[in-house]
This record gives sequence, C-alpha cells and structure tokens, in this order.
Amino acid sequence: MDKTLRIMLRLKSSYRINSILYGIGQFPVLGRFLPEGLYRMRLPKAAAAVLGAVWEVVLVFLGKALYFFTMVCGIGYLYRQADPRAVFLHILVLFTLMGSTLNNTMFDAGREQYYAILLMRMDAKRYTLLRYGYAMAKTVVGFLPFTLLLGTACGVPGWACVLAALAPAGVKTAVAALSLRCYQKTDRTLLEVGLGKVQWAVALAVLALAYGLPALGIALPVWLSEAAMAGMVAGGVCAVPYLARFGMYREMYQYLISKNMHQLDRAKEASRSYDRNTISADLSITSRKKGFEFLNELFVRRHRKILWRASLRITVVCLVAVGAALIAVLVSRNAAAAASRILTQSLPYSVFIIYVLHRGSGFTRALFMNCDHSLLTYSFYKQPDMVLRLFTIRLREIVRINLPPALVLGMGLPAILCASDGTFRAAESALILVSLVGLSIFFSVHYLTLYYLLQPYNAGTEMKSSVYQLALSGTYLVCFFIMRLRVPTLVFGLGCILFCTLYCAAACVLVYRLAPRTFRLRN
Amino acid sequence: MRFLIEHLQKSYGKKQVLRDVDFAFESGKIYGLLGRNGAGKTTLFNCLNHDIKSDAGAFWLEEDGQRRPLKAADIGYVLSTPTVPEFLTAREFLKFFVEINGCCVPGGLDECFEIVHIAPEDRDRLMKDFSHGMKNKMQMLVNILAQPNVLLLDEPLTSLDVVVSEEMKQLLRSLKAGRVTILSTHILDLALDLCDEIVLLGHGELERVDRADLDSADLRQRIIAALREEDDG
Repeated sequence: MDKTLRIMLRLKSSYRINSILYGIGQFPVLGRFLPEGLYRMRLPKAAAAVLGAVWEVVLVFLGKALYFFTMVCGIGYLYRQADPRAVFLHILVLFTLMGSTLNNTMFDAGREQYYAILLMRMDAKRYTLLRYGYAMAKTVVGFLPFTLLLGTACGVPGWACVLAALAPAGVKTAVAALSLRCYQKTDRTLLEVGLGKVQWAVALAVLALAYGLPALGIALPVWLSEAAMAGMVAGGVCAVPYLARFGMYREMYQYLISKNMHQLDRAKEASRSYDRNTISADLSITSRKKGFEFLNELFVRRHRKILWRASLRITVVCLVAVGAALIAVLVSRNAAAAASRILTQSLPYSVFIIYVLHRGSGFTRALFMNCDHSLLTYSFYKQPDMVLRLFTIRLREIVRINLPPALVLGMGLPAILCASDGTFRAAESALILVSLVGLSIFFSVHYLTLYYLLQPYNAGTEMKSSVYQLALSGTYLVCFFIMRLRVPTLVFGLGCILFCTLYCAAACVLVYRLAPRTFRLRN
Repeated sequence: MRFLIEHLQKSYGKKQVLRDVDFAFESGKIYGLLGRNGAGKTTLFNCLNHDIKSDAGAFWLEEDGQRRPLKAADIGYVLSTPTVPEFLTAREFLKFFVEINGCCVPGGLDECFEIVHIAPEDRDRLMKDFSHGMKNKMQMLVNILAQPNVLLLDEPLTSLDVVVSEEMKQLLRSLKAGRVTILSTHILDLALDLCDEIVLLGHGELERVDRADLDSADLRQRIIAALREEDDG
C-alpha cells in the first residue's frame, strides 16, 4: 500500500480508536475497570479498531440511505402526477449540483489536515489527492446500491443508475478544480471570492426547483438529466489532471487552517463574551440580603435577561395559545370535541411540552459560567454545609423561574377542557394542574441534581462529562417516548405526581449525601 | 506554628506523582517550591487544598506542641489564573466573602481595598471589567482577609505587569509573619528574590536546598543541577 495512504489511514484510525477508548474511560463505573496503559494494549485497541471500522462502513451507507429515503424518494413519491423516473433523476441531478459546493471535502481544513500537513509535514499534494480520492470512492460506493435499487424501481436503466452514482464524485471534483484554479489566480478559494455569499441563495433556489417543479407536474426530461450526469462525470474526469498538477496545496491549507483556527478562537471568545454580556451592567441592582441569599439575589437579578426574561416570554406564548384555544373551543363545535378528546387522553404530551419549555439546563450553565467557575476555586465554597445551603436556595430559585409557564398551562388546559363540554370537572382539572406543576418542579430538581452530582465542567469551562451529556440525551428520549403513551388523564396524572414526588425526594437525599464530594471543578 | 506533611502519597494509575512527601514548614517563612513540569506541584497543592484525595499520608498543623488536622479555613489557595465572580462588584464580593467567612474588618471594606491598592473608583465596578492584575489582587485580598495559616500560591505572579508584580511581592513579604506561605513557581529569580527557603519537588519527594554559604550564582547552578538530575534519574 502507498506509504502516504497508509499513514493517512493510520492517523485517522488512531484518532478514532483513541476517541472510542477515551469515551469509554469517561463512564464512572466502566472507566474504573479499564486497565492501566489501555492505550498501548493490543486487545482493547483492536476491539476499538473493529468498532471504528464498522462505524466507517456504516457512515458510508447511513447518510446516503437517509438522503435517498427521505429527500429523494420520500418526497419524490408525493408527486404522483409526474413520471417517477423523471422525478427521481430531476431531484437527484439538482441535489448533486447543490452538493458539489455545499458538501465538498476538498476545502476541509480542520484538525486532521493540521496534524497531517502542518504538524507531521506530510507531502501535501499526495496527502490531499489520496484523501480526496478516498472520499470520492466512499461517495461512489455509498451511492451505488441506492441508485441501483431505487433507480431501477423507478424505471431508470442500469447504466444511468451507475452514472448517477458517479456524477456526485465527478461534479465535486470539477468544482474542486475550478476552486483551486481560482485560488491560484486570486489567492482565495471560490467560496471566499463570491460563491460563499450567494451559495445559500443558490441552494435555496435549487431546492425550490428540485421540489417545486415536480409539484407543478414539471420535471427535467430524462434525457437532459442523463446528459447532465454524463457531463458531470466527464467534467470530473477532465478535472483530475488539473488536481494532479496543482502545486500549491500546502500554501492553500496553511492559509485555510490558520483562517479556521482564527475563526475557532473567535467563536470561543465570542461564547465567553456572550456569557459575560449576559451580566447586567446596571449598578442600581443591589441587595439588602446577607451571605448566600445576597449572592443568589444578585446573581438572579443581574442575569434576569437569560433567566427570567426567557421564562416570561414562554409564559406569554402559553397564555396566547391557551386564549386562542379557548376561543376556538367556544366558537367551534368540532374544535370543542377535538379538545375534549385530546385533553382526556393525551396528558403524556405535557411531559414533552414541559421538557421543551423548561429552562433548567440554561440555568445551570449560567450558574457555572458566571458564578461557580470562579467560586469553586475557594475552599470555603466547597464546604459541605455551604454547598447544601446554596443548593437549597438555588432549588427554590430554579423552581420559581420555571413555574409560570407550567401554571398557565396547568390552569389553561383544565379551562379548555371544561369549556369544551360545558361541565366543570374539578377532579380532572386539579389533577392536570398538579401534574403540570409537579412536572415543572421535577425538571427543576432533575437539572439541578444532575449539575450538582455530575458537575460536568473543568476550570477551562469545557464540558468534560460524557455521563452528563448522556443523562441529558436520556432525559430527552424518555420524554419523547412518554409522549407516545396513550393512557387516561386520571391514571397518568396520579402516576406522574407519585413519580415526581419520589424522584424529588430521592434526588434531594442523593444531593445531600453526595454533592459535598461531587460538586467540584473537574480536573 | 509548623505545618507538617507526613508521608503523603498520590498516584494516577501506576504513575506515582507524590511518592513520599515528608516535610515540616515553619511559620513566618516563604517557601519557594520548584520542580520540573509534571513533577507534581499542582497535585501537591490540590491534595493540601482537599481538591483531590491523597492515597496515603497526612498533614497537620502543630501549635504549641499540639497537632491538629488541617481544616478548610486554615488554607488559602491563590491560582495563577485569577477567578472571581464577574457578576459582582469588588465591594459586593468582599462583603459576601466577609459575611460567609466571618472575617473581622474593623476599618471597613474600604480599608481592605487599600491593602492591595484598588482605587476607590474601581471598588464599585463589576469585576467582569477588571484586568487580569486587578482580579489577581482581589483573589489575593480575600485570601489575606481569611487569614489562613497556610497560604498556597500557584504561579501567582505569572503574567502580571512589573508594577503589580512588585506590589504583590511587597504584599507577600508583609504577610508572611504568623503563617506558612508556599509559592510554586518556574521562575528561579523570583524564588531566589522572594523566598526564604527553596524546596525542590522531584521523584515525588520534597527536598530542602541549603542556602547557607552559597552566593546567588552558585545556588542557581546547584538548583538547576538538582532539577536536571531529577529528570535524568
């Protein structure tokens, strides 16, 4: 195998293997069982390499499968009045054109390119050509099964299906060559010269043509699509000698990498300055309280913009939605019947709604970035009684901030329910109110408990806990699946109240026992 | 008063960072802690500050011949990157700190600011607008007010301008009475200029460098040779 290709693949593979091993090591229990010197042991590395290779293969086909089944065929099947063969090729050709600039890896200048070209001083031309060739080969291999399978199902001949798989690689290569030529002449890539400014407008126009024309019963003639694809492949073939001749890869990547690094630094600084800018500069904000109550009051009042304002806006939106629903129920019999049916059967939806409306993760992030990040370096702040005293104050605060939307919905939904059939349902109304308020309190406890038990940030304000991220994703998944439950309001409401009460009690006990040890800056 | 560390050990996996730290620090002195990169200076400070648990060993304060374990209130820890709550003004931070820690400030908060030369017009500004040096002064000030028996300083003068750096040195000299001050640094000149004792951390152990009968150049050579030896050994 070519030496440069071997090094490139090994670099890529090592990066992936080490990322997998590092990720496993981050799990609190699992991480403890990992042996010393894991990164030099053959078996775990081989296992991670297999996992990585499987993932690489999955990635080749997964993205393409999603693309074909949703964007090409999924939407294509909606256009019954047009010829399916023409629609299939019409959408594919236009999207292939769009992807030639929006999804062209030639100008990727990230960590991988930095390590290979600048740090390890690999031959930039060989490296780039091999990397790009590898990416194009993956594109063709990924496309081919789907163009053959779905294309023939639409009546596209086999040779055109093969052409459709080759066309994306061809047009991307042609655009890459054009862009390199542009760089050679102007010291800037095509995207920077002007295409960048209009590419999103062009993309939107192409998207409109790809989906809009078939909706009107118009599609590019099959022969034109086939000719366009053949042209793309020919363009790619013609562009290859230019790519091979181009001699400024190193300079170009050096320029692109330094530009990207600068942008990354700017993004990091922008994020930090965003956190700082969330602090109100209004010095008339003061507090007469003492100790941690003083700290908390100033924190909340100086962060009103991100804490209270978001909650109040959501509350207003909820009020408007409830008001509109009430009017609809009062004026329309159909709406009243639908509301009655939905509200008596679909209380599980409220879990997802309260989850979406809750600002708990933003609250804990602000707590860390603008308060705990600094104060956790002082020993007094980590004293068990201090940690618990502040936890209690913060729990009260996060509950208070997130309660208004839940209260509006908790009172609004029963009002809609009662208005829908003109009867006052006291038990159900009370149950809905208590469940929604309970859910809001549950999410407040949940986010603050996760923050105190897993404190995910290090001194450099980087998120360092994969468990914390998993817990947040798990919360989303659980809420999503609960939404699909179909149980009567009474059963769900009672279950919900019971669960929230037990969870809050257990979480508080855990925090009181463990937080003095876990609420630390991560190393 | 003496600050005693006895057989302190800390390992990360198989790597023994602190092998057997055994040392007695005398009150009223500034100790310059020197060591190569990765020698374990920050690990030692983190163990003493209870940020990480040591594997074995103990540390004590000895007063009038009586030993007692080190409490959180006994330690002040000043980091090289000053961290202060940026949503508070300097005065609010000081007020909060004084209340929480029960510090005694008979002359009022304004008198405290004078200790570290924070100008009156800066005292009621949000600390998010403070420079690195001013944040450093605030961090130092709250550690002074807490009157810790042991003051740990991790590269405290790095990236300060010469004026603030000199002010800090003066401050540290004026504060050393009645407490143990341990200053970790990579700057040999600073250690020789400011510290009463030089302690080397190498091979996971602390070793005092005898300053007697050595002029500055000899001492410097000896320290560098010792540190180089640590790495070769």
